[in-house]
Amino acid sequence: MTTASLSPAQRELVDCYERLVKVLAEHRDELAPFEERNAAKATAALWQVVNGLDLDPGHIYHVGV
Amino acid sequence: MADSPYWNPRHETMPRDELDALQLHKLRRTVEWAEKQVPFHAERLRDAGVTAQDLQSFDDLRRLPFMTRDEWMDAQLQQPPYGPILAAPKETAIRYHMTSGTTGRTPIRVLDGMKDWEWIAEMWCYGFWGFGVRPADTVFFAFSYGTFVGFWGAHYACEKIGCLVLPGGNMTTEARVRQIVDMEATVVCSTPTYALRMAQEAASMGVDLANGPVERLILSGEPAGSIPATKRLIEQQWGAKAADTAGMTELGTIMMFECDHQPGGTHIIEPHYIEEVIDPESGEPVPYGEQGERVVTSFGRGFIPVIRYRTRDLVVKVPADRCSCGRTLDLYEGGIVGRVDDMKLVRGTNIYPRAIESIVREHEEVDEFQIHLYTAEGIRDEIEVLVEVPDESVDVDALLRTLGTALSEAHEGLRFGVRSVELGSLPRFELKAKRLVDERVLAGSEGERKRM
Repeated sequence: MTTASLSPAQRELVDCYERLVKVLAEHRDELAPFEERNAAKATAALWQVVNGLDLDPGHIYHVGV
Repeated sequence: MADSPYWNPRHETMPRDELDALQLHKLRRTVEWAEKQVPFHAERLRDAGVTAQDLQSFDDLRRLPFMTRDEWMDAQLQQPPYGPILAAPKETAIRYHMTSGTTGRTPIRVLDGMKDWEWIAEMWCYGFWGFGVRPADTVFFAFSYGTFVGFWGAHYACEKIGCLVLPGGNMTTEARVRQIVDMEATVVCSTPTYALRMAQEAASMGVDLANGPVERLILSGEPAGSIPATKRLIEQQWGAKAADTAGMTELGTIMMFECDHQPGGTHIIEPHYIEEVIDPESGEPVPYGEQGERVVTSFGRGFIPVIRYRTRDLVVKVPADRCSCGRTLDLYEGGIVGRVDDMKLVRGTNIYPRAIESIVREHEEVDEFQIHLYTAEGIRDEIEVLVEVPDESVDVDALLRTLGTALSEAHEGLRFGVRSVELGSLPRFELKAKRLVDERVLAGSEGERKRM
């Protein structure tokens, strides 16, 4: 699977994942506990979407997920 | 798409050449991660003279060293509690589990992170969805929810699917049966042994399970889920379809599942694993249709990479087209057919507990059984099967004779003792059943020679 072959809905999900990882990587310390941990849970769920699409989401332990 | 018979349609119907390419790509990524993050793997890969970049074709897979349970345990002992096997700081883990302790001198201890648990549940989703479990189902787990990973991932999978989940931990068997009926569970998850135990309990309570709400059973934890006689008995007693699955703590989840076409085998979740089958003695690969030892590489568990792990499980791999469900995923015919270590030699004849169970379970009159090996007169191996027969109308003597003959005929004429024992005297199991008791002082009077 490549990003070029994604449907529009799949593209949206991948974008959401990438935005969440970016937020956690760059702004974790600014987030309240409820924001940071719920964002981490959402990221974990979307990680599995990206993984299921074989788009190499890699490992994201560095952002707490 | 919600009516798809497949959880991940693209993965499950992927053409073989694409699947091979995907696995090779993921293998490279896994090895790259392991050599960078995990001292245990980095050293082993260095010793073998292989790097991720060297993996250009499937043949290169064999350049990677095997990983054994003994090596894993030794690493743990040298650097407790986990050994030098973690790929991420333990502070980023969210869960600890350990092996159930049926094999090995110390348990294997594992950690996983948040996204690893999404993956662990995802593997179970392939199985549950593939066997027809849907959001409208009510799923009961007959599971103790402890440090043994067991059905934890399955529980989360059912929540992910959208089922109503009934966690049946810390309950008596009677209370579990009652809840299954009262809450109208449509799916029950347990070991095969415990499915039979619940059916026995239901009968003693006067509950007619066969005409109850349960439509499906998801079995795991023992090979019996694919033993035809055991499975038939479970399906008959519950009036429901039963599917086999198999997983292991070392992976955190399942790697194979039986689909609703019930082909007599379990599909391997190949987009997430490479499953090799080798001769356990030589380490050489065996072809389709031949029994060998499973060797697994997981692409999912990031916290503890598992590369070419020798499982000691015996399997027979067959091509995907053996099943008519449309999946392109190869199968293990008969699921896990035994363990390399399970085999016993009795007076020169190989004995596998699974083979004995398949014969005993042909006789519904037998409620519980145990295989007993002992030394007679200080020199001779003997084998006997102890059975409990609760129905007083059964001609027990005739049953024992029939069983003795069937067991002997299936084992090159080896003499089997078959004894009826007091009801309730044999152990019952909730998790992995251990029905073979080896009390030999000197094993192998005419075969293996080993001081016990």
